[in-house]
Amino acid sequence: MSTFSFIEATSWQCAQCHQPLQPAKVNVSYLNSVFNVELMACPQCGFILVPEHLAVGKMLEVEQLLEDK
Amino acid sequence: MDQLQLREIEFRCIQEEQPFCTASCPLHVDVRAFMAGLAKGDLREARRVLDRTMPFPEIIGRLCDQPCYPFCKRGEIGDPLATARLERFCVTNSTTVLKLPKLPAKGGSVAIIGSGLSGMTAALDLGRKGRKATLITTAPSLGGTLRSYPETDLPQETLSQAATLLESYGVALQLAAPLDRESIAALTTKYDAVYFDCDEIGPDLLPFATDPLDPLTLNLPHEGYFAGGGIVAGTPFSVIKQVEDGRRAALTIERYLQKVSLTAQREMEGACTTRMYTVTTGMPHLAQIIPADPAIGYTAIEAQQEAGRCIHCECMECVKQCVYLREYKEYPKTLIRKIYNNQAIVQGTHNANRMINACSLCGQCTTICPHDFPVADVCRATRQEMVRTNHMPPSAHDFALEDMRFSLSPFCTLSRHQPGTERSRYVFYPGCQLAGSAPEAVKSTYQYLTDQLQGGVALILDCCGIPAHWAGEEKLFAETMEDFRAKIERLGNPTVITACSSCLSIFQKFAPEIQATSLWQVLDTLDLPVHPDLLPRQTLTIHDPCTTRHQDELQASVRNLCHKLGLNIVENRFSGKMTDCCGYGGLMQYANPQLGAKAAVVKAERSDHDGLAYCAMCRDNLAAAGNRVAHLLDYIFPVFEAQEPLDRNNPGFSQRHENRARLQQQLLTTLWREPSTPEPEHKKIRLLLAQEVLDLLNSRHILEEDVQKVIHQASRTSKYLINPNNGHRLASYKPVRVTYWVEYQPTDQGYEIYNGYSHRMLLPEEKP
Repeated sequence: MSTFSFIEATSWQCAQCHQPLQPAKVNVSYLNSVFNVELMACPQCGFILVPEHLAVGKMLEVEQLLEDK
Repeated sequence: MDQLQLREIEFRCIQEEQPFCTASCPLHVDVRAFMAGLAKGDLREARRVLDRTMPFPEIIGRLCDQPCYPFCKRGEIGDPLATARLERFCVTNSTTVLKLPKLPAKGGSVAIIGSGLSGMTAALDLGRKGRKATLITTAPSLGGTLRSYPETDLPQETLSQAATLLESYGVALQLAAPLDRESIAALTTKYDAVYFDCDEIGPDLLPFATDPLDPLTLNLPHEGYFAGGGIVAGTPFSVIKQVEDGRRAALTIERYLQKVSLTAQREMEGACTTRMYTVTTGMPHLAQIIPADPAIGYTAIEAQQEAGRCIHCECMECVKQCVYLREYKEYPKTLIRKIYNNQAIVQGTHNANRMINACSLCGQCTTICPHDFPVADVCRATRQEMVRTNHMPPSAHDFALEDMRFSLSPFCTLSRHQPGTERSRYVFYPGCQLAGSAPEAVKSTYQYLTDQLQGGVALILDCCGIPAHWAGEEKLFAETMEDFRAKIERLGNPTVITACSSCLSIFQKFAPEIQATSLWQVLDTLDLPVHPDLLPRQTLTIHDPCTTRHQDELQASVRNLCHKLGLNIVENRFSGKMTDCCGYGGLMQYANPQLGAKAAVVKAERSDHDGLAYCAMCRDNLAAAGNRVAHLLDYIFPVFEAQEPLDRNNPGFSQRHENRARLQQQLLTTLWREPSTPEPEHKKIRLLLAQEVLDLLNSRHILEEDVQKVIHQASRTSKYLINPNNGHRLASYKPVRVTYWVEYQPTDQGYEIYNGYSHRMLLPEEKP
């Protein structure tokens, strides 16, 4: 499965672990489809950041595509 | 919907019917397209239209007796189009653009005896179909009666051109053939079929009587013999009749040679009726352009002007008014085909889902349609099918259904007899949207009804379930109706008085056993509190809600109430039965928010006056679209310190939630002295929201309560992100199906909110 990368420099840090976010490979899913993506996440607790542009952009696009399948 | 149902329903839409000119033309020339070409000054395009349908454009274009003339709709608003003159202009100023192909030879031999225009047409059509046709005449050249036309009307050159054309399709010409009764009888035995052109061949030459002639097939009483053309007794010679007969005969002969039915499915052949519906009201009158020199005919400019008078007859009556059909660039027939195809997709993208979910189901198109095309019924039934088959996109109606669930939750619902009573003759049912939009109006109205009506007035705060009905969620809707019935029964079956016409329409349709009426009809029978000082001076236009389309008495009561109150009201052309939806109906504004906003603008623009609504959603949507609009209750029960009713803002989704919950709380504690359901913990979180952030959250369907839940969860778990540059926090939470993200910062006064967004895709730790 190909991985889609959404790695980007970010000022957000994990408040609990006091860690800057690092790229992490994660599986996101919707309506029986799973996608392997690279997102920024806390290296310690794994808190994943979904930035606004991704949520209202690519992610929304894919959600709507899957909903119309 | 199966294919049969599709055909039955799509037949009702007449947009694709022939226009009046084409239907009344025995050749079905596409006059509309011809006029469009000429109006553009594109002579070749106009000529192509003639070449496609006319057998000999050079001849017919000059001599057409325009049977379409009395049927031209332009005649209702001026003079009919001078089609014959325009055809003449076209063919005299152009040469052949389109030469129709000749099909491969198929065998079968046909004799055409007589070379008038009907014989020429039959020969040409048969030649094109690949049949071996022989045109036999005693005359030295083709044309029959056409040969007698003066050169100015029909240059003889056109007849020799016709002969060349016929030969190019393989038609054998036998000119100057010696024909008498005996030789004709002998000739006919050599061919598979014979056509007699009566323009040249009189009855004396025929081997047998032509009576009776079947007018549909032109079949003589002898098998394989056909006749047409000439003059119908008592009428002048008609060029078009010659062509029509020749064409009809060629088709019959083709069928005869194929040994198939000579009569099946020939209703649309020749001049026919059409169901086309074209409204000319409001179009400017235009008189026919008369050529400066009638002997020469039109100049190019005159022809362009004359063709420019064509109104391009079509129906589109519903599309002209419906913002939804215009948005998706469909008329009902194409819409329903798209829906049918969308539903037939097994693997692949259902491209029409959003379109199906965006119809307001308001029924305006059905009212306008001369054949009652049921767009709303089709869209609603399709939504039900999508839900049943698990093909409804989860996001389509989720937000509206969550809103409905909240209205039905213990935080908002209430069902009680009038305080201090145990019986109710009536129950006031304001509906969820009035409770959300104008809770003070609900309180005043209830107070007034309990003062005025005898026998006890109960109160139900609830939702009728129409969002579920619109969303195609039959099960949820049935449960909601069941719950409503049980509540009414527990109250002793009082008469329901609704302030919402949508609720009323639902109760009347799905619970006809329950007595239900509108608040407006009840108020119309009572003495009204009148506050002349608080009424607006200007005239207001009434915006009827779309769910009152068929509720004449309700609409009449609203107008009575306005007169009694002293409100100056004026009707607009789209009130009453024709009224538009504000964008809420059918959940349009959730499935396609931009379209919902457009619908509100369209409704508002039906009048230049400020508006008066009596549906909470109409009021709020029209206000959101930037219009001055009040609710009728604002003038019956004015809130004295309140802002100008015409300028009240759209409360937005969050405020509506808040209003419903607070209304229930206040009524329970003040009227019934009962404790209300305790608020959940997250509701205590105080939010500081700038207007633009609030607008952003509204447009993204994020409620303030969702924001509170995110912050509450982040505080509880300490799981959030922080930006060391500005101290902002970013946290997420998924209460049900949607994950919400909020950027915020705690301050002394509460939580300052900067941003909010959401997604449905699941992160690894989230469960569906």
